[in-house]
Amino acid sequence: MISKFTAIQGESFDYWKIVGLFGALFVLGLLAFGYIEIQGHHVTGMNQKVVWGLPHVFAISLLVMASGALNLASMATVFGAEPYKQFRRFSAFLAIALLVGGLLVLIADLGRPDRGLLTMIHMNFRSMFTWNVFLYSGFVVLCFLYLWSMMEHEKYVKITGSAAFPGRVILTTGTGSIFGVIHAREVFHSAITGPTFIAVSLSSGTAICFLLLASTFKATGREFHPKLISGMRNMLIFFTLAVFYLIVVEKFTKSYSPAFYDVEKWVLTGQWAWLFWGGIVLAGIVAPLAILTHKTWGNSLNGVMLASGLAIIGEVSFIAHVLLAGQTYPFNPFPGYVVSSSFQDGAFGHYVPSLSEFMLGMGGVGVAGLIYLLGIKFFRLLPKKAEAPEHWAPWNP
Amino acid sequence: MTMDRRTALGVGGAVAAGTLLAPGIHLIAAPQRTEAKAGRRWAMLIDVTKCTEECTGCSDACAKENNIPQIEDKDRQIQYIRKLKIEDKAGKKPPISLPVLCNHCEHPPCEHVCPTSATFIRKDGLVLVDKHRCIGCRYCMIACPYKARSLVYQENETPVAELNGETPIRAAGVVEKCSFCVHLIDKGELPACVQSCNQSHGGAMMFGDLNDPNSEIAKKVAEVKSLTLRADLGLKPHVHYQGL
Repeated sequence: MISKFTAIQGESFDYWKIVGLFGALFVLGLLAFGYIEIQGHHVTGMNQKVVWGLPHVFAISLLVMASGALNLASMATVFGAEPYKQFRRFSAFLAIALLVGGLLVLIADLGRPDRGLLTMIHMNFRSMFTWNVFLYSGFVVLCFLYLWSMMEHEKYVKITGSAAFPGRVILTTGTGSIFGVIHAREVFHSAITGPTFIAVSLSSGTAICFLLLASTFKATGREFHPKLISGMRNMLIFFTLAVFYLIVVEKFTKSYSPAFYDVEKWVLTGQWAWLFWGGIVLAGIVAPLAILTHKTWGNSLNGVMLASGLAIIGEVSFIAHVLLAGQTYPFNPFPGYVVSSSFQDGAFGHYVPSLSEFMLGMGGVGVAGLIYLLGIKFFRLLPKKAEAPEHWAPWNP
Repeated sequence: MTMDRRTALGVGGAVAAGTLLAPGIHLIAAPQRTEAKAGRRWAMLIDVTKCTEECTGCSDACAKENNIPQIEDKDRQIQYIRKLKIEDKAGKKPPISLPVLCNHCEHPPCEHVCPTSATFIRKDGLVLVDKHRCIGCRYCMIACPYKARSLVYQENETPVAELNGETPIRAAGVVEKCSFCVHLIDKGELPACVQSCNQSHGGAMMFGDLNDPNSEIAKKVAEVKSLTLRADLGLKPHVHYQGL
């Protein structure tokens, strides 16, 4: 059923214009890295309360999206959804591209990036960060093996694809657990943080796949069967509902406990509430669901592309909200008392990102974009024509 | 030189596999850590009834002893020990002022989360930071429930003549915190904050080996009612407060 895989020609002025754009982002990221590295982190908006800022939002968003980008491949290999088989190569390659972009930002934002190698020499296996070093590098290896078997040895696809599936689940759980396992922070600590990260990764990963597939197919004049649009739309609806469900469960659980009344009230009405209501709820859940379930918009390519863009805004908002709300909520070593000090105990933290942080984060997007653009030019990652079998009817919730 | 796709994939896979395996290979032997006498357990007892809000003797002495730069930017100041004011929400009790510092926990979350083991526990219970191994990931700052850690946001520009040659200057980008003045303890002296408090201020601080039943602090902790901060977290902190 699958038409032949081909690389795109990538010789047009438009193609090189886009390559140049992402290359410029990469260069901006490099400049920002050099600036922060030479000057020190005081040129960022970070402070003693908010120590993980915008670069972490970019990095974690890319990592979470990377795991989700493997979704189309997993649908074909693990869940036997044959029509998505034609996107397996693209899906696994995109996962690697996004992961590399995210990891670079994460490393570049270390206080001492020159010592990054120490994470591989002196390891503390009780640290969730150490686990993540293995999870990220392991995921890249699994995606490579998967890609290699798809291109060279189809007989190993089932094994490599099946190994990559738990790999991505564990990876995203690990990323979510960086926050979820921290007992000292009321906003972070939750057993459901890991699963929520998985749901967010599924929705944003599917969204980025759809956006890139649709725009690449449009730009290269390839056909995209409408049934595939419906299939991915339905997937996106399901994953968005999963995000909604998990967020409701977490809010319900915490709001049920008197110990969390204050913190939950602040999360929902405090300084980062706009990210929660505007970014997560409106842009990430309500608007995509309204578009995707609409009779006309939900069946149009542009409608699903718009919903996908909104789902990605929702994902970034989710990560930003977890990070920033979690860090700015006041520390109080004396619960039940009002505390104050010259070190801002008991006070809400504040954070305004600097331009250099934004540039550093965009540098990661630039790297991921460059890898994707060069990948589709030099490897046969995309089908000539995205087809759907006649008898196939995409699952409809 | 051109590379066909098969080779490119192979090289990419090999690099990725190397990245995966590298963490398990100890390329460079870990530096020897100073091993203190096992069996000791350094601890502090602070009598908050002797603390006044105006007194900053402990934090001033700490800053001087440990070469802590005085940064104007309040958001990025480094504080090893700070005075905290606590007030009863109902306003029925008078406010209390007390010093808060690293609690040198028996189960420190900072040590638990540190990916490179830059934060480690010495045999005598001191929780220390290896400034050469810290990569500045700041996860320890996220995990510490006492807000006892600071990131060095910029280079220390204090003139050399004003520096204490016995304590290291931390480079920008690493995380640091109170060490209970390990350099003084190892010489048989008391931490700078305790010395200052007892010599010219309220005399609220007591320091010693909690495992030695004949030590003053062990006797006092056994005798008076004292509390540790956030005992609910099960970290077994070793800064005790009397009079809270």
